[in-house]
Amino acid sequence: MGEDVAIHVENLVKRYGDLTAVNNISFTVKRGEIFAFLGPNGAGKTTTVEMLVGLRKPTSGGASVLGFDIIKEKEEIKKRIGVLPQSFNTYDRLTVKENIEYFAGVFDSCPDVDGLIKLVDLEDKKKEQFKNLSGGLKQRLGIAVALVNDPEIVFLDEPTSGLDPKARHGVWQLIDDLHDKGKTVFLTTHYMEEAEALADRVGIIHNGKIVALDEKDALIAEHGKKNMLVLRKADPKAVKVIEKIGLKANYDEGEGDVIIHLNHAVAVSDIMQALSNAHVSFSELQLKRSSLEDVFLNLTGEELGKGENSE
Amino acid sequence: MSHVLLDLKACLKTFVRNKSTIFWTLAFPCVLILIFGAIFSQSTIKTDLYLQNLDVVDGEATYWADTLINALNSTDAFNLKMVDVSLNATDYAIEKRLSSLIIIPQGFNDSANMALFTHGSSSANVTFVYDQSTTSASIVQSIVMGIVERMNFELSRGVQYLTIEDLTIAPKRFSFIDFFMPGVIGMTAMTTSIFTAVSTSARFKENGVFHKLATTPLKRYEWILSRTIFNILVSYLGMVVMLVIGVFVFNMKITVDAVSLVMVAMASLLFTGIGMVIARFVKDPEGADAAANVITFPMMFLSGTFFELSQMPEFLRAIATVLPLTYVSEGLRASMIFGQADQAIFNTILVSIMGIASIIAGSLITKWEDD
Repeated sequence: MGEDVAIHVENLVKRYGDLTAVNNISFTVKRGEIFAFLGPNGAGKTTTVEMLVGLRKPTSGGASVLGFDIIKEKEEIKKRIGVLPQSFNTYDRLTVKENIEYFAGVFDSCPDVDGLIKLVDLEDKKKEQFKNLSGGLKQRLGIAVALVNDPEIVFLDEPTSGLDPKARHGVWQLIDDLHDKGKTVFLTTHYMEEAEALADRVGIIHNGKIVALDEKDALIAEHGKKNMLVLRKADPKAVKVIEKIGLKANYDEGEGDVIIHLNHAVAVSDIMQALSNAHVSFSELQLKRSSLEDVFLNLTGEELGKGENSE
Repeated sequence: MSHVLLDLKACLKTFVRNKSTIFWTLAFPCVLILIFGAIFSQSTIKTDLYLQNLDVVDGEATYWADTLINALNSTDAFNLKMVDVSLNATDYAIEKRLSSLIIIPQGFNDSANMALFTHGSSSANVTFVYDQSTTSASIVQSIVMGIVERMNFELSRGVQYLTIEDLTIAPKRFSFIDFFMPGVIGMTAMTTSIFTAVSTSARFKENGVFHKLATTPLKRYEWILSRTIFNILVSYLGMVVMLVIGVFVFNMKITVDAVSLVMVAMASLLFTGIGMVIARFVKDPEGADAAANVITFPMMFLSGTFFELSQMPEFLRAIATVLPLTYVSEGLRASMIFGQADQAIFNTILVSIMGIASIIAGSLITKWEDD
């Protein structure tokens, strides 16, 4: 195993009776990258993370984190990782600062507590008790707590679940900052846009199995739909004009739109020139990029967020 | 140890900042003390003492047997109950689970007279049958021994009469509040420790704090040790508040010695361990309180906290012998009220052994990780 490997998972299985929560998965996470485990609720994301951080025992298979075996060398792993569990909770009546100091003490580390508070933008809340914080602020504190031991890998399990869009973007910024500091981030999420916004590589997990794993652009290129150009309220004759220059197009009678399926052979400027020459009218032009949502739909036949409600 | 102190500090801060917890932790035993104290502070406790007099002539007790019986009666410490002369008294005591019984043997009067005339070269003996596991037996024993010793002393000086009022070794008379206070101190150690252990564990299990802690180098035993010390400190706090009420409101004369302090600490250890074991089988915080109640409530009433065990029906006394709070109450009474060092130490050792066993079981059974 190379030194650039942070996590190595091989044939990992977790069963609960007849239910197979994680079904023979294998993957590698490189040092310094943000790796996103994307899948609906109940796909096996949290179970996988919990096995990697020592909270659950695998039924079979194995894994190593920073070269340490997840069963035999759990204590070594604990010293070197930071974990934000799903729905982070801590001592209710301790303040933000006291909670960070508590966990720093538990790790026997001496972090710059004020620096951590600043990093997660909780300076004006540092004397506030945990129970009085909003969901977003609690998650931020959870991230600060996960960093008290200056970990090499940070595991973030659904870090923005249940947060409003503003709080979610705040957490994204924090995760980006961790990446900039050279931390390896293992992120689980069921938000497609979160994986798209943050991850270097994405593993798509469904019913306990990894159905695809690659850099996100490569996943979209391989498994997503082609990019599309949409002519809103367009003249139907546009379909023939487009077909003449070698592209596929179809007319959506309901919306009155002409949809053009792009490829690399024809530039958008050539399409516009052809439409102009043919005097085709339309009210608006939209470029539709393929997304991880399309990749997931294509690979599983399901939409993200329509899975079960629990892991 | 630094992790233990760290967690203990967090615990204490949490406790101090939760005013309602402080109030209810201390209010319940204080209210009990005040109510029961106000009702029963004037009443004294009388212990049952069974007596079989075999020294009878023409249906009447002999002179010295009668003198001894009158002396016992005049202490006002006993409900003297006569046992039929046709019964084997020792078998009767075993069968009826009596805590104390005195047998005045046939010829006791002659022996006493002989002792009088021989100036102590012979002696007159009575047999004292007792159950050493009960505190009341020790008290009875000390009174009876005092009477008999005094009687021998008077006989050797040739004095023909005996008055109990002269007995300096007779223990002080106890009021109900004296009896009640150590019981409530033990009960508070139990409720504080069990409820704290069960509810904290259930809450931390449900809200994921245990999961978070499990990803850190903090060890389970460090966390449990910190919680145990916390429970000991809260039990001491409750003890201080109750003693202040006892002394200033009811004018109690109570002794707090090293044995009673060790007993409270060991009781907290014992009940924290029991709480941890219960918590393992509780699924949510709502169930935690119910489970703690199921354990603590019967123990409160069956362990001699409110009533002396000898006043309870036989089958309840049998149950009390397997309840750990019984030994806590007995030990605390022995050390704080009756001054029975041997009883206090015996019960403290017993509770310590149970405490160590329960905290080990609690540590082993508590899980932060999932299967």
